[in-house]
Amino acid sequence: MPGLFPRRSNLFGTVVVAASLGAVGFASIGLGAVVVGETRRIDLGSKAAPGIDSIKTQYKRPATIPFPKENPYTPEKAALGKKLYFDTRLSVSMAQSCASCHSPGFGWGDGLAVGVGHGMAKLGRHSPTIVNAAWGAIFMWDGRLATLEEQALGPIEAAGEMNMPLDKLMGRLGSINEYKPLFAAAFPGEGMNARTLAKAIATYERTVVSERAPFDAWIEGNEKAISEEAKRGFAVFNGKAMCSACHEGWNFTNDGFQDIGLPSKDIGRGEFVPGVVKMQHAFKTPGLREIERRSPYMHDGSLDTLEAVVEHYDQGGVDRPSRSDLMKPLGLSAQEKADLVAFMKTLTSNLSPTAVPVLPR
Amino acid sequence: MHKTIAFALVVLTGFSAGALAANQMIYQKGRVFSSESVSIKKGDALTFVNDDSIPHNLMSATKGSEFNLGSQAPGTSTDVTFKEAGDIQVICAIHPRMKMMVKVTD
Ligand SMILES: [Cu+2]
Repeated sequence: MPGLFPRRSNLFGTVVVAASLGAVGFASIGLGAVVVGETRRIDLGSKAAPGIDSIKTQYKRPATIPFPKENPYTPEKAALGKKLYFDTRLSVSMAQSCASCHSPGFGWGDGLAVGVGHGMAKLGRHSPTIVNAAWGAIFMWDGRLATLEEQALGPIEAAGEMNMPLDKLMGRLGSINEYKPLFAAAFPGEGMNARTLAKAIATYERTVVSERAPFDAWIEGNEKAISEEAKRGFAVFNGKAMCSACHEGWNFTNDGFQDIGLPSKDIGRGEFVPGVVKMQHAFKTPGLREIERRSPYMHDGSLDTLEAVVEHYDQGGVDRPSRSDLMKPLGLSAQEKADLVAFMKTLTSNLSPTAVPVLPR
Repeated sequence: MHKTIAFALVVLTGFSAGALAANQMIYQKGRVFSSESVSIKKGDALTFVNDDSIPHNLMSATKGSEFNLGSQAPGTSTDVTFKEAGDIQVICAIHPRMKMMVKVTD
């Protein structure tokens, strides 16, 4: 606030920091254009834990799918996007499509520990599901892409994945006569280009939404929809195990990045924010919808079962400076672990079959 | 150097409590900032309060005004003084939905 010493406040701030540094000795202080002062405890008052009914309201399914202003939904765009999504001609080998790694048969993943790219070479990370990508805040395990439109083009171009340069791809699609009218209908006046291709695929992906699961019926008031075991598991999930600190809301993720202590050399998000300790070995929190169909688990596909995942969290993982402060041994009982698994299984719907589209020739 | 020590003594004995109390407060409850955008004068500080139930990691990658608070535990607060005018984007490294702008004016 401008007050006693408006002109001197610059120096004033520096001195406050210097003084507190000397007195208290806190770390991570720089004397550049931004000066970070001491961190101190404050009193937040006594917080009563919210009751189960109030927690349940945080998990209510949304009524509509969000589409961005820059790429609104149209049925023509979604239908074109679906054809492109399943079209293996988007890869240089003409053998892989988006659906190869994100297949409706495996909860929109691939059922493998790590994905398989160009020439059947193993990729470094587990193929994430595209279910509920419409609600995503940031994309890829390491968050390097900001929108689903960018994400749609990433794997097509990546040498290790579909290995298809975009100009070459547009040439190839241009030579397939039946694609032209589809692009014209979906993008009047815009034509066929990498931008419209990405918009179409992203639009289709946004329509891939997890269907109603037993959990949703319970949230909406049907007490018989899930077992007593699963209800106890929900309480552990939101309480003692603190899973909901990251797996929050109806899609069970806040899209945050955490090092959960898996013994892997991959630094994940750390590659993009090198100076931030907590981002080393940090990966995006995946949603938990359709989880039962999506094994094996984790960014490296290293855990085969939900039981193994719960066990990992109970142990707390590798203790290192980057490990999330939320990760620590939980001391769960065998009953609590079983309850957690029973609860997670209620998040899996009877996904209706997806018809493979007839492709343009 | 002598000047710094002299000022420090003055600050410690006299004015520090007043200066800290005058800061604008930014809260972080429910994985959102209490303000999307704030304006402050060059040389003034903001107090970032983690009143959430989980740690946050506030930082800025805005050129010339970079900072990183590291993992900030629930129930703690940290002051950040901004010494150069400009628009500084503050984010939480952990939670990509948490974004705010600090407009520092001359
Ligand atoms: Cu945060």
